[in-house]
Amino acid sequence: MKTSFVASFSRTLVTVLLALLVGGLIMQLSGKDAMGAYQVLWNSAVGSPRALANTLLAATPLIFTGLATLIAFKAGIFNVGVEGSLYVGAFAAAWVGFTFVDMPGILLIPLAFFAGGLVGGLWGLIPGYLKARLRVDEIVTTIMLNYVAILFTNYLVTGPFFVPGMANAMSAEVAPQAQLPRLMERSQLNISFLLALVVLALVAFLLRRTALGYEIQTLGTNATFARWMGMPVARTILLVMFLSGLIGGLAGAGQALGVHYRFVGGFSQGLGFDGIVITLLGRNTPGGVLLASLFLGALRSGASTMEMFTQIPRDLIDIVTALLIFFVAVEVTVPKVWKYWRGGSKTQMAASGSER
Amino acid sequence: MPYLEVRAIRKTYPGGVLANDDIHFNVEAGEIHGLVGENGAGKSTLMKILYGMEQPDSGEIWLGGQRAHIAHPQAAIQLGIGMVHQHFQLVPTLTVAENIALGRETRRGLFADRGVMRERVRALSDQFGLHVNPDALVSDLSVGLQQRVEILKMLYRNARLLILDEPSAVLTPQEVVSLFEVLRRLVAEGCTAIFITHKLDEIMTLCDRATVLRRGQVVGTVETARVTPAEIARLMVGHELEPPLARKASAAESRDRLIVRDLQTGDARLQNTTVNFSVKSGEILGIAGMEGNGQTGLVEALIGLRPDAKGDILLDGTNLHGLSTRDRRKRGLALIPEDRNREGLSRPMRIWENLASGEYDRSPLNTGGVLRLERMRTAARALMERFDIRAPNEGVAVSTLSGGNAQKVVIARELATPPAVLIASQPTRGLDIGATGFVHEQLLNLREQGCGVLLISADLDELLALSDRIAVLFEGRILRIFPREEATREQIGLAMAGKVESEQAR
Amino acid sequence: METGELILNIVASTLRLSTPLLLAAMAGLLSLQVGQVNIGLEGLMLAGAFTTVVVGFWLGSTWLGVLAAIIVGMLLAALFTLVVTRFKANLIVSGLAINLLASGSTAYLLKVLFDTSGTLSPASLESLPTVNIPVLSDIPVIGSLVFSQSPLVYVSWLMVPLTALFLYRSIPGTHIRAIGQNEEAARSVGIPVRRRQYLALMLGGGLCGLAGAHLAVGDLALFREDMTAGRGFIALAAVYFAAGRPRWAALACLLFGMFEALQFRLQLISSTPPQFFQMLPYVMVVVVLAIISARKEWRKGW
Repeated sequence: MKTSFVASFSRTLVTVLLALLVGGLIMQLSGKDAMGAYQVLWNSAVGSPRALANTLLAATPLIFTGLATLIAFKAGIFNVGVEGSLYVGAFAAAWVGFTFVDMPGILLIPLAFFAGGLVGGLWGLIPGYLKARLRVDEIVTTIMLNYVAILFTNYLVTGPFFVPGMANAMSAEVAPQAQLPRLMERSQLNISFLLALVVLALVAFLLRRTALGYEIQTLGTNATFARWMGMPVARTILLVMFLSGLIGGLAGAGQALGVHYRFVGGFSQGLGFDGIVITLLGRNTPGGVLLASLFLGALRSGASTMEMFTQIPRDLIDIVTALLIFFVAVEVTVPKVWKYWRGGSKTQMAASGSER
Repeated sequence: MPYLEVRAIRKTYPGGVLANDDIHFNVEAGEIHGLVGENGAGKSTLMKILYGMEQPDSGEIWLGGQRAHIAHPQAAIQLGIGMVHQHFQLVPTLTVAENIALGRETRRGLFADRGVMRERVRALSDQFGLHVNPDALVSDLSVGLQQRVEILKMLYRNARLLILDEPSAVLTPQEVVSLFEVLRRLVAEGCTAIFITHKLDEIMTLCDRATVLRRGQVVGTVETARVTPAEIARLMVGHELEPPLARKASAAESRDRLIVRDLQTGDARLQNTTVNFSVKSGEILGIAGMEGNGQTGLVEALIGLRPDAKGDILLDGTNLHGLSTRDRRKRGLALIPEDRNREGLSRPMRIWENLASGEYDRSPLNTGGVLRLERMRTAARALMERFDIRAPNEGVAVSTLSGGNAQKVVIARELATPPAVLIASQPTRGLDIGATGFVHEQLLNLREQGCGVLLISADLDELLALSDRIAVLFEGRILRIFPREEATREQIGLAMAGKVESEQAR
Repeated sequence: METGELILNIVASTLRLSTPLLLAAMAGLLSLQVGQVNIGLEGLMLAGAFTTVVVGFWLGSTWLGVLAAIIVGMLLAALFTLVVTRFKANLIVSGLAINLLASGSTAYLLKVLFDTSGTLSPASLESLPTVNIPVLSDIPVIGSLVFSQSPLVYVSWLMVPLTALFLYRSIPGTHIRAIGQNEEAARSVGIPVRRRQYLALMLGGGLCGLAGAHLAVGDLALFREDMTAGRGFIALAAVYFAAGRPRWAALACLLFGMFEALQFRLQLISSTPPQFFQMLPYVMVVVVLAIISARKEWRKGW
């Protein structure tokens, strides 16, 4: 186990370095100083306590959405719909935050998170139900429902919850006591980061130590076997989609209460999709999700400073991330392809499919 | 000079399974040559070698007097060898003509010359009496007609030697009759056919000669006109003497532990057939029968995976009808499934995780939804000891185990607490002699403890050695149940071929 | 506004707005039919739009920009094909990566090359000229409405039958469908599977490039960051809505294009929120998929 962790970690590291290298190449080609840029990036990501705090702030929603995706992947469910849960969750949390303005913060904040998680989970149950009961492919439905969620929440803040005088699609500000307490003075880093860590621990515990986690693992590794053992497959799918949506909803709630202090239409810019990248980079483990989130968070938070000082657009990070996805995909298969080319495994591949 | 000559073919798969062991056989031009043997006898491997899907470790193939090197299916086709797979290689939304010509279209610019293709298909179809409409969509065709499309596909590619891999397995009896007509016509038109099956009556009615495989070896080639079905059956299932198993007298009490009454499995091919039998305490009821006669449906219906099954299943007096798989298992139904890697294990998961999969949801392995991992591991170690599972430790993935040890994991899990009734479906398939002996021992132990055992096996030796009674399943129903004393190889073999009445009449 | 005028107005903008959807949907259809659904249509379109404006501006020819867009679309699609076939990467992840790559690199290049963010509309770049179809455009009312359009609108109309013809009548198209439905069968008869996959997906890439070009220079002549605004996914919705059939996909695109047109027009005269029409395509797909599956399950007697 240990060696395989070291191996996969170092392989990921190589992949990451390669993507950064190509990113540097792109900078050089566009006439910028790549080394200097990376130095600025590094400094502004981890160079000071405040920089570090901003990295953690950027990592927070990624931890949530990474975990949301992870829990579904573990069950063999390809949930692309975390983005949708994030939106409806964010709105629900904000709604609680600007509606129950007389409630003390100690009640209001938990209530808002609860609402965000619940609504996000219910949102996840729609494709979950369709998959568990009607066997509708979850990939298509979750992709489509994302847009429904984005547009629907957008409608809410331009229609029923329209605030006169606001230029953009956004809700009223949440009550001051609903705004998440910060962990540091000069950064927006707030307690939702701690919540993310708690959820991380809970998910790790759930997956490794509980009956549900056991069912998830079995379903994800061999669904036929799970059925033959009499495991409650449909129930597990529903639960997983609920939990995945719930965690996605918490991500949205954290952003609404801790960063924007309101619901802002279209605020996420793909945080839910990032969850897929995070899980991929994190090799499908909770610990990996944490590392990958910190890494991507560092890139993102460093990038804005980098843009200010070096005039290198922060969008470079999106390019690097895309490259990273390709490289990870390639790196996972290359050893197999390599073995295949060198002969050897050809008969093996054939044998596994023979004599049924 | 034979048309096809197979000399000393040997094939070992990685992992040490010897699939083909020094295979020799000849096929004369213009004959229908049967290739028979139980599952795992090596038929599929041999056919894959002939069709270039596998390469033999050693041995030669001669075709029309010349040494043939068949590196891939395309080469086989060029040599005039065509194969009709059990799973059709068809594209449902293309027409018959498009499917047949696929990859060999007659071009007219960028487009296919559909007229020419259609005419060629029609001509071939008429020549061989196949009667397929070239313009029909394949998805609209019956299975029997789809098979004809597969045959036409090979003829379109000028195949002269047709290999048919268990072609009757998917057909209705009427379709089988017309398939036979087609094959006779093909041979009359100058083709040669190799017909793979494990159904005796088909060999007798269709084939000129048949080669019998058993455990990777040729045990004989017979002329069907000169042998009885029973003789072929004996060759197929073998009759080497295995050391007699110590069978103690079964427990005195003989209450029914499992009663199956008017069970309809909901199998589309076997409609309107019902299954009736019972298994007593301390009894092993063997189910014999050629594969595809309803075994799969029976097992799935018993364990609760066929929601549309009808009829009563009484386990110690409780009707299981409508209960979930989990509830059935909780009431004491245990199962060794046929395909352990798909249905019996999760290979990426560890041994202890697999061993816990029946009990993880209750005490003592589970308290309030939280798993007691230490207890699971301890229990797993004990089971590994008790069932002699050879592995470095309980934490290795099941995928690293040999077939025998993997099967022991299944057995250990199912028998950890003695069940009321065990369903064992092909429990020794693919196992070596040692592991086979172990499984047999476990089944007999269970019988002594007063459990009921339902043993479904394709191995007649196994059934004869273990069973107290043997039921023969034929086309979805129990044709006859033989008490152990009356069960002879010949009688069971005939019943397996559906020949029970004529036998009695004689 | 008079009702008749309003209807004509809606018809005209429906035709214009459905053009990128039609082109992208045909690309999605090709990818679905070859069995490698490409959810990167959005990114391919965006890259196409950007390329059109930039190359058109540099070379001083809008048409060369359109040509470049086609090429860029095909190249990106080739990258997608490489990753999902040779390296067996997950389809969805790879599609998302294409989208990310496109939005990231267009924004990056916009800033690096033009020192601007948001919108690029070079004054010297002209939009594609309106083409009047002789005779037909002289028909009263309908003529000027339907047969006086930006050239890519006609191209998109042409692409529907062409795609259908290609898929259902040509040899490579037949192979593509065969691969999508039964890759094993296609391989067993010696079809060059990998090459056909490249063909289908790269043709789709070209179509997406065209779709992007229409967004950029069909009407105005500008590029805006993320100007595709989910159209790639609406096109994908049309494909699933039509269960992969070209004619139905085209109709779905017209319908979805009409929703888009309505959302602008109805806003002026009624209180229907625009998001309602924007959501409809996505909701419809989910509902249709649910109904199809429900009927299948029901028939199985579940």
